[in-house]
Amino acid sequence: MYTHEIQDLLKSKKIKVGDKIQIIRGKQEYVGILLPRIKLGDISSIALKLASGYNIGIRFDKTVKIKKMESGNPIRFKPSDIQIRKDSNKPTISILGCGGTIASRVEYKTGGVSPVLSPSDLLLAFPELGEIANIKGRKLFDIFSEDMSPEHWKIIAHEVVKEINSGVDGVVLMHGTDTMHFTSAALSFMLKDLPVPVVMVGAQRSSDRGSSDNLVNLVCAVVAAARSGIAEVMVCMHGSLNDDFCYLHPGTKVRKLHTSRRDAFESVNVSPFAKVAYSNKDIEYLRNDYRIREKRTVKLDNELNTNVALIYAYPGIKPEFIQSLSSFEGVVIAGTGLGHVPTNPNNDPHTKSILPAIRNLINSKIPVVMAPQTIRGRLNLNIYEAGRMLNETGVIGDGCDWTPETALVKLMFAIAKSKDMKKIREFMLTNIAGEISERTVV
Amino acid sequence: MDKKINYKTLKLKAGLELHNQLNTKHKLFCNCSTDMKEKTPIRTVTRKLHPVASELGAVDSAAQFEYLRDRNFHYQVFNNETCLVDLDEEPPHNINQEALYIALQISLLLNCEIPNELHIMRKTVIDGSNTSGFQRTVIVGMNGHISYKGKRIPITQVSLEEDAGAIVGEENNKVTYRLNRLGVPLVEIDTGILENFTPMEIQEIAYSIGIMARSTGKTKTGLGTIRQDVNVSIRNGPRIEVKGVQELSLLSKIVEFEVQRQMKEKPKEETRGANIDGTTRFLRPLPGANRMYPETDIPPVIITNSYIDEIKKNLPEPWTNKLDRFKTKLKLPDGLAREILGSEYLHLFEKIISSRKVEPTVVATTFTSVIKDLVRRERIEMDRVSEHKLIEIFDYLQDKRIMKEAIPEIVKYLAAYPQNGVADAFAELDLRPLTADDVKTISGEILSQPGMSFEKAYGIVMSKVRGRIDPQEVMKIVKSMMK
Repeated sequence: MYTHEIQDLLKSKKIKVGDKIQIIRGKQEYVGILLPRIKLGDISSIALKLASGYNIGIRFDKTVKIKKMESGNPIRFKPSDIQIRKDSNKPTISILGCGGTIASRVEYKTGGVSPVLSPSDLLLAFPELGEIANIKGRKLFDIFSEDMSPEHWKIIAHEVVKEINSGVDGVVLMHGTDTMHFTSAALSFMLKDLPVPVVMVGAQRSSDRGSSDNLVNLVCAVVAAARSGIAEVMVCMHGSLNDDFCYLHPGTKVRKLHTSRRDAFESVNVSPFAKVAYSNKDIEYLRNDYRIREKRTVKLDNELNTNVALIYAYPGIKPEFIQSLSSFEGVVIAGTGLGHVPTNPNNDPHTKSILPAIRNLINSKIPVVMAPQTIRGRLNLNIYEAGRMLNETGVIGDGCDWTPETALVKLMFAIAKSKDMKKIREFMLTNIAGEISERTVV
Repeated sequence: MDKKINYKTLKLKAGLELHNQLNTKHKLFCNCSTDMKEKTPIRTVTRKLHPVASELGAVDSAAQFEYLRDRNFHYQVFNNETCLVDLDEEPPHNINQEALYIALQISLLLNCEIPNELHIMRKTVIDGSNTSGFQRTVIVGMNGHISYKGKRIPITQVSLEEDAGAIVGEENNKVTYRLNRLGVPLVEIDTGILENFTPMEIQEIAYSIGIMARSTGKTKTGLGTIRQDVNVSIRNGPRIEVKGVQELSLLSKIVEFEVQRQMKEKPKEETRGANIDGTTRFLRPLPGANRMYPETDIPPVIITNSYIDEIKKNLPEPWTNKLDRFKTKLKLPDGLAREILGSEYLHLFEKIISSRKVEPTVVATTFTSVIKDLVRRERIEMDRVSEHKLIEIFDYLQDKRIMKEAIPEIVKYLAAYPQNGVADAFAELDLRPLTADDVKTISGEILSQPGMSFEKAYGIVMSKVRGRIDPQEVMKIVKSMMK
């Protein structure tokens, strides 16, 4: 938004964004299209698109003169005239938009970038999709992935069940990447007895650029949903820096491990289910311990208690911090190394143990779950004194190889099901959706 | 060349786009080196590009899709000269302040207005030369001018952009680029339409603008660091763009050839590439509507008046003043003065002249012809000779420990033995200056041998005294002794 001064002047001259205007500032004359003011930069500068296509900002003051030259025509995208004909020889899949713009359209005239979501627009943007499957699609909501909440997970799970019950051969969920691994873990617990693949997909590079990883990711996700035999919740993302293949990661074991690379997602402690080659759309299975695609009825279990906390252990962590967590109904601690926190068995004068504070939480029936802040590897609470003491105190997680995020999501389920500490412990330590692996692959 | 062509009646119109890489420490949007010296890629990354829907419509999109469908782009990665930003695997960092400063200096030297707020743009490029699918570019100056033969030459725009990846090879549908050039800061200077000029005058205008940019002392020099595009039209016919002229001295020839071609063939609006011999070849149709939209990953840059004032205060001496100074104070002839102004060794020349008592013509000639000849004839590699060694040569000259004739011998030696210094060359090559008497003694010995012609004797004497005395003097001595 421009400053009030600029807005008032534009209003008085009946100038709207998109109009061709002339600006005179000192001896200089500029002609171009008035652009909306972006938040960054100087809001008292008028943003103009010049005939050359470049944008510049012209600082506004009382000497600046503005004249309207032509009214702008609002740009209307012609809806794509692609006819969607159902091909009964091809599988049918549903693409649901859960935020994160995996496809967009650029408006060069004003420089705007807007998301596209209708199936016909998706087919226009990615014609290859239509060669793989009949595409259905709709938008559930449009939020940034970091704003995704457990309530959204419930809605997504509910909608996926609806799609599956309508008879589709697979579901693709377009999702922002930041918290995609939380959602994939939640859906893995919520969707029981899946008959078809549920494939989550996102893009690490914005979709307005020709180099975006969106195309390869989405095509591979559609291939996985339409053709793969894996009836699991999966994340389909780039397998390398090349645009060559995607991995199908298990929903409870996947994690984003890089801020920006296109191969940011990795399967932690396990192998991905499969590889999908972009060039020939081949699926190479890397495991055989998945639920196979088969006719069965999906069951929805989306009861959650979200009153949980996830914290990091760190040198100098204060017992008061742990005590302050007593208003929660469950706590996950991402511990150091094999699953440790400061316990100070040697009574070092500089160190404060948080063990008594943890014990207090457990005594007041707040389950405390351990997860590795190293992300990779398995917890073992028997090797060092700290681990043994945490284990004796009743911290849950010895022997588990879950990620902190999956442990958190699982705890939300566990405490929704029971208030009984013993039952919660039993539920947590039982493998429900692949979140605890029996052996760690090399 | 057909001298009879009357460019005025042909209504020759031309426009110039001059590109010059900046010699900054880092690339424009990341902290990689801009050296472009690494030869062996550490790995290659393979990518696809695909069309992005726009208001330009489905047909446009379909055409792009067909073009890109089977194309694979291979990107060579270099250890210190490529990072995740270049691979489009990490968002761009903020704009390089050093590059921005130089680009604003150039804009001001060309009398441009600086926008109050710079908006970095993405220019869609689908040939794969940019890993992102677009080139980042920003206007840093507008509505400037220079004067040439008393006429006002309009400078419509100065922009600062990231250079593209350099093409390494293309076979079938596989195109390979090296990424150490991607992201190197590049200043593009565009002129308005140049009317009523001959091709040679157009070349001189390009020279004047190029040398203005070079006044900053921060532009890169050498092959591939400067590229010129020229638009040519005659008789209000279509505008033909000739891209990638690397040698300035070819520009007039290219314009002449292009005019002749357009007189013969009926030209179509298109982009042509410059060949080494000055002729051109068809490249692709001119790009249609501008495919530009804002780079939203980098905030706009606000240019304050005080920042502009600071740059103005420290503006380098424009080349026209420098040319005058070289001619009057340093007594360089006009041609030599212009040559050294255009030389990649200009800053070294100025450094030596300002700090050492040596003959400016000798220093200028060393850089404009002596070194050039050695590179051309003897294929010596000048990047093996460091600047401080070149300066040291003139210390020896100043102290009269060597004659100017020794300079090529020393440069040759330094290029052959990069680990050795000028002192080593001096010791090993025996370059002490000789007196006339020394030469007489040597000549006497040679001439005492039977069957000596003047040419033969002179040749043998020269081989013994080369670099230690003026050859003219040797010639005089040998001639007089033969009598």
